[in-house]
Amino acid sequence: MSTPRTSRRAAETWPKPAGTRHSACRFCDALHVSEPVEEGLAARCTRCGTMLYQNRPASLARATAFGIAALTAMVLAHFFPFLIMDAAGMRSKLTLVGAARALIDQDSPLLGVSVILFTIVTPLVLAGGLVYVCLPLHFGRSAPGAVSVAKWMYRSEPWNMVEVFMLGVIVSLLKLIKVADVEFGAGFWSFGMLMLFMAAAVAGIDREELWDRMEIARGGQTAGPAR
Amino acid sequence: MMSAAPPPGIVKAADRGLAACEVCGRVSPLPPARCPRCASALHLRKPDSIRRTLAMLAAATALCLPAHLLPMLTIVELGRVTPSTIIGGMLTFWESGDYPIALVIFAASIVIPIIKIVTLLWLCAAASGWLHPSPAALVRLHGITELLGRWSMVDIFVVGILVALLQLGNYMSVIPGPGSLAFAGVVVFTMLAAMAFDPRLLWDRLDTRQDPARIQTRESPPD
Ligand SMILES: [Zn+2]
Repeated sequence: MSTPRTSRRAAETWPKPAGTRHSACRFCDALHVSEPVEEGLAARCTRCGTMLYQNRPASLARATAFGIAALTAMVLAHFFPFLIMDAAGMRSKLTLVGAARALIDQDSPLLGVSVILFTIVTPLVLAGGLVYVCLPLHFGRSAPGAVSVAKWMYRSEPWNMVEVFMLGVIVSLLKLIKVADVEFGAGFWSFGMLMLFMAAAVAGIDREELWDRMEIARGGQTAGPAR
Repeated sequence: MMSAAPPPGIVKAADRGLAACEVCGRVSPLPPARCPRCASALHLRKPDSIRRTLAMLAAATALCLPAHLLPMLTIVELGRVTPSTIIGGMLTFWESGDYPIALVIFAASIVIPIIKIVTLLWLCAAASGWLHPSPAALVRLHGITELLGRWSMVDIFVVGILVALLQLGNYMSVIPGPGSLAFAGVVVFTMLAAMAFDPRLLWDRLDTRQDPARIQTRESPPD
């Protein structure tokens, strides 16, 4: 068994649950003793170099703040249009819900639901979940149902397609600009902010730290034998 | 399955009967088959990983055909009906000189799905012992499959946006085509395939085939 590759022993670290904890590389399964790392540093697998965990500075505060910022941007993105188009004497505006509803109205309900899932539900679960879990943790408390919420955050993460939708809006604008007057609306820029805030919120706290803190806040109760 | 011999100084969690929880990362002994911290199911390796990955890849590959042959969308302009496939739409951009968009569509809709499917097949072959790649190549390839997947969805979003905006009554309207649903299926199934694959199988395979005597002694901290 080996200790992870880190440069120095930790001074500042998040509280660890009692007992020796191990960390297994999710890529090669090499087992390591979980040693605390200093703020801003990461522990890497001694075999393949994959990051095991990292200590993010001011993690709870950052995840909460950027999560709230992301939720605010999300609300704005639903209030304002992404694209505004003038063609054939008509003005049409594009919103996220509008795109999903158009697909559903045009007999493509599955596509409409995918748009809703990948661009509305997933970001909401991620950003909302981070705030719901991290804000109480700031005060050393665990929100009711925090474990389920954190699980849903983990499950939804790969399906978050905010940045892909942004690219889709840009491609559409370039496509439409030949047949009509099109311009970006405030919704597009809000969605861009959502993309940036969300990336910052998710990167703000490491999974290991989040779960360690939740475990301690729940009073270290575990359902099985601790090891 | 666990008769592996990793290099000296490295112990695999599975060899100690320990499993890392896929959801919360906590390493705990198995059995019990539940994570003591978050109650998710624990496995030494993802169950049936290669077979499930191959099944998802088969579904994705089969859907590639309708995705590219059937129209992504149909434009109805002044009574004239023009269906447009992925490749057709890309060529229109290319011919009108919009090279950057043509390349974005080409990369997202054609290159990325193919790279993903081929890479995952290659990883499955390596995990089954048919190919013998170096670990460094594995790290890079696996990273690619995780990173690229979602971007293929861009064409589906473009269809949604065009359908929503271009409803100009008799002048022009856009209807989503069956190809778009098939293509969304390709993207979702390649993502599910990447999630079903367990990269630790690659290292298990590497450890069983390596001759321990030939491994260079490496600097590693004491146990
Ligand atoms: Zn590793």
